[in-house]
Formats: sequence, structure tokens, C-alpha cells
Amino acid sequence: MGGEAHHGKKRGNFVQRTIDALAEAMERSLYAEQLASSRGILQNLDPRIKLIGTLLLIATAASAHTITVVIALAVVTFGLALLSRISLRTLSPIWIGMFVFSGMIGLPALFLVPGPILATIPWLGWHISATGLRSAAFLILRSEISITLSFIMITTTLWTHVLKSLRSFGIPTLIVVILSMTYRYIFLMLQSASDMFEARQSRVIGKLPDNEARRLAAATVGVLLSKSFQLSNDVFMAMQSRGFRGEVYILDEFTLRRNDYIAIPVILLICGVGFWFNYITA
Amino acid sequence: MDAVFTVQNVNYAYSTTSDLALNDISLTITQGSRVAIMGANGSGKSTLLRILDGLYFPQSGSVTAFDHPLDEAHLMDEAYAHAFRRRVAFVFQNPDVQLFNPTVFDEVAFGPLQLRWDKPTIIKKVAETLDLLEISHLRDRAPHRLSGGEKKRVAIASVLVLDPEVILLDEPTAALDPKSQSRVVDFLVDWGAGKKTVVVATHDLDTVPDIADDAYIFKQGKIVAHDTPRNLLANHQLLLDANLVHAHHHYHDDGKPHSHPHLHFGHAHDHQ
Amino acid sequence: MHIPDGYLSPATCATLFAAATPFWYVAGQRIKKTLNMRMVPLLSVFAAFSFIIMMFNLPLPGGTTGHATGVAIAAIVLGPWGSMIAVSVALVIQAVFFGDGGILAIGANCFNMAIVGSLVAHWVYQGIAGKSPLIASRRVIAAALAGYLSINVAAFITAVEFGIQPLLFTDAAGTPLYAPYGLNIAIPAMMAGHLTIAGLAELIVTAGVVAYLQRNDVALLAFNAPVATSTSNVGGWNGSRRLWLIIAALMVLTPLGLLAAGTAWGEWSATDLVSGTGTTPTLAQAPTGLARLADIWSAPLADYNLPFVANEQFGYILSAMVGIGTIILVFVLVGIISERLRKRNSAT
Repeated sequence: MGGEAHHGKKRGNFVQRTIDALAEAMERSLYAEQLASSRGILQNLDPRIKLIGTLLLIATAASAHTITVVIALAVVTFGLALLSRISLRTLSPIWIGMFVFSGMIGLPALFLVPGPILATIPWLGWHISATGLRSAAFLILRSEISITLSFIMITTTLWTHVLKSLRSFGIPTLIVVILSMTYRYIFLMLQSASDMFEARQSRVIGKLPDNEARRLAAATVGVLLSKSFQLSNDVFMAMQSRGFRGEVYILDEFTLRRNDYIAIPVILLICGVGFWFNYITA
Repeated sequence: MDAVFTVQNVNYAYSTTSDLALNDISLTITQGSRVAIMGANGSGKSTLLRILDGLYFPQSGSVTAFDHPLDEAHLMDEAYAHAFRRRVAFVFQNPDVQLFNPTVFDEVAFGPLQLRWDKPTIIKKVAETLDLLEISHLRDRAPHRLSGGEKKRVAIASVLVLDPEVILLDEPTAALDPKSQSRVVDFLVDWGAGKKTVVVATHDLDTVPDIADDAYIFKQGKIVAHDTPRNLLANHQLLLDANLVHAHHHYHDDGKPHSHPHLHFGHAHDHQ
Repeated sequence: MHIPDGYLSPATCATLFAAATPFWYVAGQRIKKTLNMRMVPLLSVFAAFSFIIMMFNLPLPGGTTGHATGVAIAAIVLGPWGSMIAVSVALVIQAVFFGDGGILAIGANCFNMAIVGSLVAHWVYQGIAGKSPLIASRRVIAAALAGYLSINVAAFITAVEFGIQPLLFTDAAGTPLYAPYGLNIAIPAMMAGHLTIAGLAELIVTAGVVAYLQRNDVALLAFNAPVATSTSNVGGWNGSRRLWLIIAALMVLTPLGLLAAGTAWGEWSATDLVSGTGTTPTLAQAPTGLARLADIWSAPLADYNLPFVANEQFGYILSAMVGIGTIILVFVLVGIISERLRKRNSAT
């Protein structure tokens, strides 16, 4: 069929690109759910410790103001990534993506930030400053550390456990329930958005003109909006029918295990050393 | 026989400008009866179920449940609402609407938690209900990842856990594969041993004789017939008028065209 | 525009989180009052909706593509308070689940997009649409501008947050510890992209959706229309006065807090930053339009010289404060004016 060749072409095809983005989001969460239920050192830790640990490590990396501390934390993060059993094939796109993003933003800093000149680019005469290089390294490493740690946390922890940990940190039940329902309905809507685009795709041969694509996008958003409203009404009735009266009640229980008691001092030690370095080098 | 629901001269419209979704409906549902509400899409059968569940309130007419008026004012009272919600269960047509919790366990525990049961009772009752519907192995799965048949069973479990006296089901067999359909039908046939009340809104006629002993046909918000399922299903002209069947047009071996009302016995079919 | 971690100092993140909290609180209270029991399902489903919208890639004139945030749509349909919560929830899930935006930066991202974005979109839309019929084409224009302005104001605030980082947070050698560019670079760089591509994407989607709803589902537009709210919502300016006081306090305290955190952090050397030996040749490489914009932004700061200001740092902070203050002032004025108009309209 003549249309087939065009379907494969991703560049410029807005419908296909959006379908791909939606499918990727679904696949990624499925992968996270599978990995979280597999066995591994990180998988076995109490979710509350993972959540706090992730937050503490990210905060330590963000607060560090010597590059050595940041590099050391990057090494720790890499070690955790290996422990997590997440395949490098899954991690590398995340790392590369963040590197490209932060690199693009950080690169001009090499030349723009004033400081002792480290090198000069021949022909152009641009000076690379030591401070500029360091600031770019800060930016890239910190953003990589943070995204890796949060990715490790979410892929080794069941989402339901993340939610329950939030509860035990005193986050109001209402917010936790909204978060959990949002996550759940994202999948339903990813599916309906995907279906709408695929239905459109099957009727289109070749590339959609830009103005048509924009109209299609707006109409799809509109349909989704109407559906959301209907959906929220129906869900409300389903909740009411089972006794919901505005306040939500949920069950939660966690017990610490041996691994957890080991993990707590390790995390605190790493963060403590990081902060101590800030102090002595200040 | 005690009346579970008494509906008198009920009118309901979704907005002031739209047509009546229910037009002067009166019916009584007695305790232990199994009632089928048959009708095409838009005939008002889903609306009626929602009125029986206290989710919609009629613009005129009255509804009583267990000899008490069922209206907005009464449902504002917590004790009344809790008692009513425990006694009457509703299984929605679309399981995606009904399954909004992160895991199957949480889904089934949702009702008891809202009714403030104590924790050990909830855990015990949820486990029993999961067993009853043979879905214990799905306990920690996310409901939105399940198959259509599994979702339906979780949806039924999520309301049965409250041990209701009445169960209202909206198109329970729609969009299910034949095996899941027969599972749901078998379950409904066995459930409650004649003491529980079952009200099913459906256009899947072949399941009706199994699950119901009393049946109504709805058309455009009105009751057009009330009889036993056997008698109603035998009246092809009536079914044709209510858009429950369509004329089936096909050719026989002799090459002559032949038309007859088409009943969907024996295979899954979803009219949309 | 989702800020990753590492671009803003922890102090900035904490400050913005603190700044967002009163808005979340008031939003929660208001929604509880108006939506009552419907709040949970409605906000959840709309948060899921905002999440999905951010995944749509749409082609823009000129061969580029962009994605909209859907903030303006949420604000138009749900009103600013509902939109704040729904978009915040979507941002949290994006940060935690998909690595879009940092974890520490959640407060900052919510403040910029969910809170400021929703308020700007709401005021612009209601201000322009007024009491026009729900199917008036004026509402499409109002939606277009609401989308365009909300995303740009949010981008501007983000740029200011970036721009103050090198002034406040450097190490002993003068290395910027977070976003390395000052306001003179951060603002033009950020706005160049948002005034064009991102702004256009938001404009197209917001206007397109309102036009679609006018034809297919007008009830959704009525959900938050002033015609409908004029009877139920008497709060308006008076009801939110307390909130404005909090904002005013924050406006004064925010830069001071940043300053305190900044000076405690590293040895500040103003001369390092101002000695532009390394920067002058490279800045000249930037497109002339950008350079000119950069000049405009740095001009008032260059000869900033008040007796009580010991270093340039204060000058920058004050200018950031003035910038934020100006925006808030504009919000307040628009809010008051639209409130007056609404009252006059409903009185007649």
C-alpha cells in the first residue's frame, strides 16, 4: 500500500509522534511496575526509607558546593543504579537525554562565566574559564544525579507503596488519594488519546498538513476534556455508591526489616559526609 | 412479599431542555426477586438503576427503599446513607469507572473503609470476597492492568464485600468474552440463594431467562411491557418495536432471501 | 520549562515551595466549598487530563514543533483554584514518574506554571471574555491571549529565578553553583523561546479547544463562567484579600530570605562577576536582537548605586523583586478592574 511507507516516517508526522510519546509513557510505567515487583536489594527496602533517602541524597547533591562532593555523590548514585537491577539500556537514554539538555544549557557557561582562563579555542579566540567549566559540571552532574535517583526510587518501589509512604509522612489523605486516582486515570486517558490518534492515522495517507494537524490536536484535546468531565461524574457516582461522602479512608501499614536498619545509617552517613565537606571547605 | 423499592410516577430529565429520560415510571421490586430491565441504548434503564441507587433524584414522583423515602435530604444523613449504601450495591457498566483504586485489594477494601468498619474485619472480609470470586491471585495487581473479565469480577467483588441485600447491575455482560460472560451469569444465578434481590439492566437477551424471573421492557423512558422473561422473549414483534432485536436478513441454500427477528443466543454481541 | 534539579539552589526551591503553600491551601479550601464531595474525582481526572496534554506535540508555523501545558485550558474550565491543584498534581507525577522537572524543584515548577500560570490565564480570559455569550468569538480570542500570556509570564518568572542564582550562590572562586547565567542572559534566552514557539503552541491549543467546546460541549465553558459564578461567588476581591496580603509579605520576604541564604553560603565576590573580560567577546556572538534585549534588562542594573547597597548583589535582588512586584501589581490591577466590571454588569 502506498500509505504504508509514509506511516513509518516519524519526522514531521505529528500524529505518529504523539502516538509514540503516549505509548512510551505506558511502556515505561509497565516496566517500572514489573521491576518494582522483582527481587533485589533496593526492591526489598522499606519504601519510606527509599523515599526519604532519595530526597536526602538529592538535597545533599544540591547543597554541595565543592565539585568533589558532587562527583562522589555521582559515583554513589551510579553504584545504586547498578544495585537496582535497572538495565543500562533503560538508564542510558535518561542519562543521555539529561546530558544533552543540561549540556546545551551549560556549554555557553564555559565561555560566559568570568574567571581564570583555562584554554582558548583556536580561530574563534573564545576563552574557557575554570569557573565556567566547573559551573557547567555542577549543572550537569546535579541534574543527572537527581534524575537517576528519582528514577531508581520509582522503578524499585511499587507506586502504591510510594503513595502509602506519603501517608506516613503526614501528607493529607486527600492529596494522596488524588495522586493515586490521577495516576490511574492517566492510563485510561493515554489509551483513549492513543485510540483517537490511531483511528485518525488509519484514515490518513501521508503527512497531515500543519493546519489540519493543529485542528486535530485541538479537537482531540476538546474530546478528551468532554470525556474527562463525564468520567469524573461517573467515578464520583461509583465512589458515592460505595459509601464515599467526601472524606476518604484508606488502610496503611508498614514494618521495618533488617535491611532497613542497615540502610538508614548508610544513607545518613553519605549525606552527613556531604554536608560536612561543605562546612570544612566553606 | 416485602417491597425493596417502590417507584411511583417518576419523571427524570438530564437537563431542563432535554427529553425525559424516564417518563412516568411506576414499578415495585420485591425482596428476593430477580428483575431484568430490558431496553435499547437510551431507553432509560441505566437512569432507573441510578435512581434506585440514590445517585440521581427524580424531578417528580417518589422512590422508597426499604420503606423509607429515598431522596437527597435523607441521604445527607450519615447513618441513613451508610445503612443504604451497605444494603444496596451497584455494578457500573464500565469497570474503568468503578475501579479507581491503586490495587485490587484497595479496591475491594474501599467500600468497607468508607463505612468505617474496623481493620481486622475489613481484611478478613476482603480476603473472603476475593476467594468467592476467585481473584485472590490478583490481590496486589493494579485494576487498570487487568483483562475485561477480571475487571468485571473485581468490580463485583468491590460491592459484594459489603454483603448487600440488593445488587443493581448495569449491562453486566457487555463487552465480555463468552467465557467471562457465562462466569458472570453463573455467579448471578447462584448468588444469594433466593434471599437477595437482583436488578439487571441489559440488552443481552440470551442471558435474561437465566438471571431473571421478572422482566420489564423499556422504550424511550417508558415501560412498554412487564411479564416473565419467557413470555416477553417469545413476543418477537414487541422486541422488534423496542429495538432489542433487528430483522436478520440472509440467504438460504435455495437462494431465496429470508428475514426473521434476530436473537443473539449463544454468542457475545455488543450493540453500540 | 520544567526546571530540573541542579538549576536552582535548595534555598530557592524551599522559598518557592513556601510561596506555593498558601495558594494550595486557599485553593483547597475554596474547592472544598464549591465542589464539595465532587472535588476528589474531578481534580484527579483533570490532573490526568493536564498530564496527557503535555504529551501532545504539535506542528507550529515555521517548521518547528512545540507542546502546550494546558494550564490555560484548565484555568478556563475549572477556574484558577481548581486548575492550580490539578496542574500541580500533574507536575508532581511528571517529576516523580517521568523525570520531567526535578524533585526539589517541584515547588518551583508548581509555583511558576500551576499557580502563576493559572491566575494569569484566569484573569486574562475572564477580563477579555467578560459577560459575552459562551459561544462568542470574543471568548476564543480571550482564550488565545490567556494561553499566550500565562505561559510567558510563567517563563518570565522562571527566568528571573534562574537569573538570580549566580548572584546569590557561588563558591569561593566565584563559580556559579547553580544556573550560571545572570538576568541579562537568562531572561532574553528564556523569553525568546516562549514568546515564539511555546507561547504559540499554548495559544493555538487554548483557542482551538475553546472553539471546539463552543461547537460541541458548551456546558464545559459554563462551568466556570462569570455568568454562573456571579450568584454563588461573592468572594472575589474581598474573599482573596487575605491571600494578597500573604503575597505582599512573600514579595518582601522572598528576596530577603534568598539573600540571607546566599550570603551564608559562599564568599561573595562581586568583582568576579562584574569583571566582564571573558564575557564581552562571546556576548557579541549572540544574535543582535538578543544582545539588545540583554542591554535593556541590564541597563537599570548597571548604574545601580544606592548608598546602603554594599555590592551589586543587592541591586540585582531589588530588580528581581521589582520585576516580580510589577507582575503581581498588574495581576492585582487586572483583578480589581475585572471585578469592578463584573459588579457593574451584574448590578444593571
